[in-house]
Amino acid sequence: MNSYSIAYATLLGLGCLLAGPSSAQEVKQDPWSPSREAKISPVTQAQLDSADKNTANFLLTNGNYAQTRFHPARQVNRDTVKNLHVAWIFQTDVKESMETSPIVVDGVMFVTTSFSHVYALDAKTGQQLWHYNHKMAPVTTFCCGPNNRGVQVLGDLVYLATLDAKLVALNAKTGDVVWKTDIADPELGYSETMAPTVVKDKVLIGTNGGEYGIRGFLRAYDAKTGKLVWNFDTVPEKSVGVWATKDATGRDMHRDIAAEKAQLAKSGDPYAKLGGGVWQNPAVDLATNRIYFVVGNPSPDLDGAVRPGDNLYTDSLVALDLDTGKYVCHFQYIAHDVWDLDAVSPAVLVNVRSKDGKSIPGVIHAGKTGHIYVHDRKDCSLIRFSEAMVPQENMWVLPTKEGARMLPGANGGVEWSPIATDPDQGLAYAINLHQPMHYRVENSAYPNGKLWLGGAFTAIADEKQSGNITAVNYDTGKIKWQVKTPEPMIGGILATAGGLVFTGEGNGKFAAYNSSTGKELWSFHAGAGVNAPPSSYMVGGKQYIVVGAGGNTQVNFRRGNNIVAFTLD
Amino acid sequence: MGGKPVWFIACGVVFAALSSANVRPALAQTIAEKVEVCAGCHGQGGKPIDPMTPIIWGQQSGYIYIQLRDFKRGDRKNEIMRPIAASFEKEDMLAIAEYFSNKPWPDLGQARSPKDVAERALRAEHSVGCTGCHLDHFQGSGTVPRLAGQSREYLTKTIADFRTRARGNNPGMSDLMLATPTDDLAALEDYLAGL
Repeated sequence: MNSYSIAYATLLGLGCLLAGPSSAQEVKQDPWSPSREAKISPVTQAQLDSADKNTANFLLTNGNYAQTRFHPARQVNRDTVKNLHVAWIFQTDVKESMETSPIVVDGVMFVTTSFSHVYALDAKTGQQLWHYNHKMAPVTTFCCGPNNRGVQVLGDLVYLATLDAKLVALNAKTGDVVWKTDIADPELGYSETMAPTVVKDKVLIGTNGGEYGIRGFLRAYDAKTGKLVWNFDTVPEKSVGVWATKDATGRDMHRDIAAEKAQLAKSGDPYAKLGGGVWQNPAVDLATNRIYFVVGNPSPDLDGAVRPGDNLYTDSLVALDLDTGKYVCHFQYIAHDVWDLDAVSPAVLVNVRSKDGKSIPGVIHAGKTGHIYVHDRKDCSLIRFSEAMVPQENMWVLPTKEGARMLPGANGGVEWSPIATDPDQGLAYAINLHQPMHYRVENSAYPNGKLWLGGAFTAIADEKQSGNITAVNYDTGKIKWQVKTPEPMIGGILATAGGLVFTGEGNGKFAAYNSSTGKELWSFHAGAGVNAPPSSYMVGGKQYIVVGAGGNTQVNFRRGNNIVAFTLD
Repeated sequence: MGGKPVWFIACGVVFAALSSANVRPALAQTIAEKVEVCAGCHGQGGKPIDPMTPIIWGQQSGYIYIQLRDFKRGDRKNEIMRPIAASFEKEDMLAIAEYFSNKPWPDLGQARSPKDVAERALRAEHSVGCTGCHLDHFQGSGTVPRLAGQSREYLTKTIADFRTRARGNNPGMSDLMLATPTDDLAALEDYLAGL
């Protein structure tokens, strides 16, 4: 063997090692399954703009740019849903937490798994067309699971953000990499689990890392080249704000403003390591060219002593100009949060009743607090907040070294799970957790990209946990109906023009409910936690409902590796 | 994907060729030389000589890299490891981490914990959410270590060091360990060692 051969063999051998199974959660399916071309036409911006009216496809993570998760197909409805049955089940190669929103384009489905795998499937049969197995960098830093929430397609490219903080564009037909961009340094606590939103040749992406002392951002990358177009720091250099003492609902947060001011004089503005991740997709207002999204918790989560001020724009709704990324407005739900009861469920654009009863463009967000907040889209101001969907007790007691009991627990209320809405009924549908917890505080210095909680949230062993599905009238703030579930709910929900909502539970139950009353009309047990948002689409004249059943890391629900599609007989 | 058959065939060809020519890749030789010293404590076959020394064979590569980095920086204190890590550059650390992560995890033959201990351990896990980072079956991923089957004595010492913050390179872990009663932690140590 000559030196060239040795070098070549070395490289190839190393490549083989690196390309091999990368995690204990990988389960090999058929390693010889052939790769086929996905026969889809390029997705146009016009198609994306009108996704809310498209019964055949599911083009965006939350259905459409307004993120209503309301699908207009009505073949599966209150009368026919009893005949819903499994059309096919696809087993991925990764048995770990599954949070993907299936995207469907012209009969081709794109799903993702933990560790940033992507599959293209025949949406009618579940047959695999191609599989992208991302070569993960050794350093990944993430809280709450190696999740991925999905992709989006524009033109002939599929866009994916990966756990090792890269943005990748794949050829939609073949799954081959077209371009790849580093978003941020995972060694400093950055990672990606959200699906990108692609609009007007821009790929919009946020970041995780609020548990690691990052400085959060929302960015736009050029969809054709992967070059950065603009960056918006979710924590401005002046993060102190107005020293707010009350939360969005008017309750006192027991801040020691004098102590915070003394700390500010000593250590300065804490903006550089203040967290502020963006977990979920922005909503896009095509009429005003604005985007609306929510920003997560400050770092460290529970120890406010080291981060004086309101910690802007953590725990906030924020609006930006789509073309430039310039700030438009914000509304902070909890200033100087020390409970991690932040804002993670994606914002939704709907018309709402103003305080004087007029129908105006609104934006709503379901909080970890258990309230649905209703805002005026013009200036982000709060119009109303809903009745609490979960028990609230002892709010806002400050965390202590020994642990202070407060409800809701740190996962919510509503976690990252997207809500659904039915604009005709004026209802928002949210899934909630009820997890009584102790909030404990500890003090430690910034740990260079390591886990930085500033304490711990601990579930109280002898207090029962549960969940619920709640329909809220966002024009009145009143709860219309509520279905209790035996376990906390995390994943997502879908409403359809058939008068139904679909959602799943950690125990494997996936069910359809009458969207007006909450009456259960159909259910299926998937064998693993159904903790992902469902999608709907039509192919061959039949409507399908599809959902991932892979369990959940964060709440430790039974893992699986299934994508399950249902249709009518 | 269609690449899988090619992957397997290519690997087979490479290893067959290397084996028949009795030639070892230069990079592997370099790493092998660099890691020779490790076997003195971590064991020739991956079983540590002293139970207070962790298993590193089959450990997550990102975790090994970060620990080497932290030994060098002084963020993690250890008189033996600091001078060893001090001589490594980032590329060395990544290569060493990759080398050990590709080794098989050794079975120390530690007994499975009895049912009552396991139940107590899982209650503790449920309270602080260990598997949120260490993942299902405590296998770890990336920069989060595998805990399943780790040396019982090492687990005990590490958790104790987190509680006193003597292990100072992960304050989040210190916070979580301080929030967990010591009896529950003892159960967790037994349970993890026996997995």
